[in-house]
Amino acid sequence: MATSKKMITREEWEKKLNAVKLRKEDMNTLVMNFLVTEGYVEAAEKFQRESGTKPEIDLATITDRMAVKKAVQNGNVEDAIEKVNDLNPEILDTNPELFFHLQQQRLIELIRQGKTDEALEFAQEELAPRGEENQAFLEELEKTVALLVFDDASTCPVKELLDLSHRLKTASEVNAAILTSQSHEKDPKLPSLLKMLIWAQNQLDEKAVYPHINDLSTGQLEDPSE
Amino acid sequence: MNKSNFIHKFRHSAKPYKMEDEEEESPTELNTINGLSSFVVISPDKLSLKYTGVSQHGHDVGVVQANKPAPCNRIAYYFEIYIKDAGVEGRVSIGFTTDSFRIARHPGWELNTCGYHGDDGLIYLGKRQGEAFGPTYTTGDTVGGGINYDSQEFFFTVNGTLVGTVSKYIKGPLFPTVAVHSQNEEVTINFGQEKFAFDFKGYESAERNKQQIAIEKISIPSNMSLGLVKNYLLHYGYEETFHALDLATNSTVPPINGTQEDGIEDTSYALHERKNFRQLIGKGEIDAALAKLRDCYPQLVQNDKSEVCFLLHCQKFIELIRIGALEEAVKYGRVELAKFLGLAAFQVIVEDCFALLVYERPQESNVGYFLEESQREVVADAVNAAILSTNPNNKNQLHSHLETLLRQLTAGCLELRSLNDGQGEAFSLHRLLTTTNWKRTKKTGKL
Repeated sequence: MATSKKMITREEWEKKLNAVKLRKEDMNTLVMNFLVTEGYVEAAEKFQRESGTKPEIDLATITDRMAVKKAVQNGNVEDAIEKVNDLNPEILDTNPELFFHLQQQRLIELIRQGKTDEALEFAQEELAPRGEENQAFLEELEKTVALLVFDDASTCPVKELLDLSHRLKTASEVNAAILTSQSHEKDPKLPSLLKMLIWAQNQLDEKAVYPHINDLSTGQLEDPSE
Repeated sequence: MNKSNFIHKFRHSAKPYKMEDEEEESPTELNTINGLSSFVVISPDKLSLKYTGVSQHGHDVGVVQANKPAPCNRIAYYFEIYIKDAGVEGRVSIGFTTDSFRIARHPGWELNTCGYHGDDGLIYLGKRQGEAFGPTYTTGDTVGGGINYDSQEFFFTVNGTLVGTVSKYIKGPLFPTVAVHSQNEEVTINFGQEKFAFDFKGYESAERNKQQIAIEKISIPSNMSLGLVKNYLLHYGYEETFHALDLATNSTVPPINGTQEDGIEDTSYALHERKNFRQLIGKGEIDAALAKLRDCYPQLVQNDKSEVCFLLHCQKFIELIRIGALEEAVKYGRVELAKFLGLAAFQVIVEDCFALLVYERPQESNVGYFLEESQREVVADAVNAAILSTNPNNKNQLHSHLETLLRQLTAGCLELRSLNDGQGEAFSLHRLLTTTNWKRTKKTGKL
């Protein structure tokens, strides 16, 4: 099949760009959605005042959510669990996987602090019963307990569980669960729109020759290369 | 020139957003007036047909079209027929035809038609020879026909199951079509008023998801969004928001690359002043704004007939109306606005402004939107842009980076749609922002 691509000059393309009807209101909404979903409370408050844009969720709930996230990031899992239940007891009730991961994180923290006895007791009472119900949980539990076996954690094959990045992973999971429980999407919309731009340009490349934006950070329009 | 954007927005700030989908018509019943249907009798509700011909040859088919063509501003279109009675020979068919189809033949036999026939289970695409496609169908079966605008294909279902797809070779609007061709054949048609046997909503969602999944796979630098938001805040002079965000992210998020800082320098030009102007205008303190402008940026108000001056004077006039100071407004209008009456670009707006004087309750009139907050924002944006234009290092900061990217995205999607015969879901940022569960990705514990 002959694929003769449509040639669009820079002038023609710029005309099309200028013809796009973009509402400032929509762009403000996009920015507010970003601030709120990422949890930048102060910035969201200021933005509401400076632009008049209404946040899509109550800003107070962001503060609560950030407190939970922070608690997990600092290793205070018990505190985080309490806060989540204060916020909405249904979150952990309806999210057994999340609850297990939080308990697992708690276990990791006990091990990190060298509280071996307490860790074992905790694992037996709180985590073993969950492991019995669920094969995946059991495997995770066994991996975690393996940390105890090694005197020098750095030689343990599952030592990444002790990494601080694991705290971030758990924190992210909690953040997403809270957002979902508030009927809010867990990811901001802006990154998806940027990806869509790249996708659209790729799709259009198959049918037309036109000015691209290759560097998203500058938004510089580049003439089509012949 | 682009400058007139603000003038245009000033006049149209409150026009309700037109959602294209709502305007497109959709088939609702069978067409009884287009000269077909000579060999059928159609029920009073126009959703059933029964063959009344003698089926002696190939030109006495009882074929009927829908009253409207399938709407194409969406991912896909679908309709179903139910074979109440396959009659003596079971020669029922379902498919699509164009506006110019006026011949008593089965869909698919003529060029620019498509038909899936129940007696042989073949698909006909404008050639006398059909191709193997799906099962035959008869009394009691529910058969559906659809168009997938993304893949540009026809698809058909039998009793709720997809049986096949075929490339859509016909361009332009297409009419759902059904035909019967033997004694006692009777068919009812469903254009969505009743529940479909096929999970069409699921099919549409799956199609939408295909695209979403492909899009999500693309990777972008992790701080791109943050950088764009910061540039946006600086561009429009949202100083306090910028500082709050900067504070929250400087320690935890590294800058993208060296150029990011330069970009911030440029966009920070007169940040504090621009914030102040936005604040003043936001509170309706136009006199103060004008005075400050004369002080700090005399070059912008030198030409009293400039766009910036015009918008500020209009807004001042509006503010006077708002507090009910009609006499003062008239005086102000004479002194400051009358001179714009000769200028084409401004005349209509001046007339609209003066119209406000006439109403006892101007906010309820059709120019009432002039009194809304959004109007002040347009003026603030115009002043903001004007100040940015005084930046000696400026490389034409007409738009924030975010806006530039969104324009490219919209133009790109519109062009894609235009090259797709103008069919498929039209991109709409507004719709994406107001639809929840827009992204139907599975919950993963991704970092």
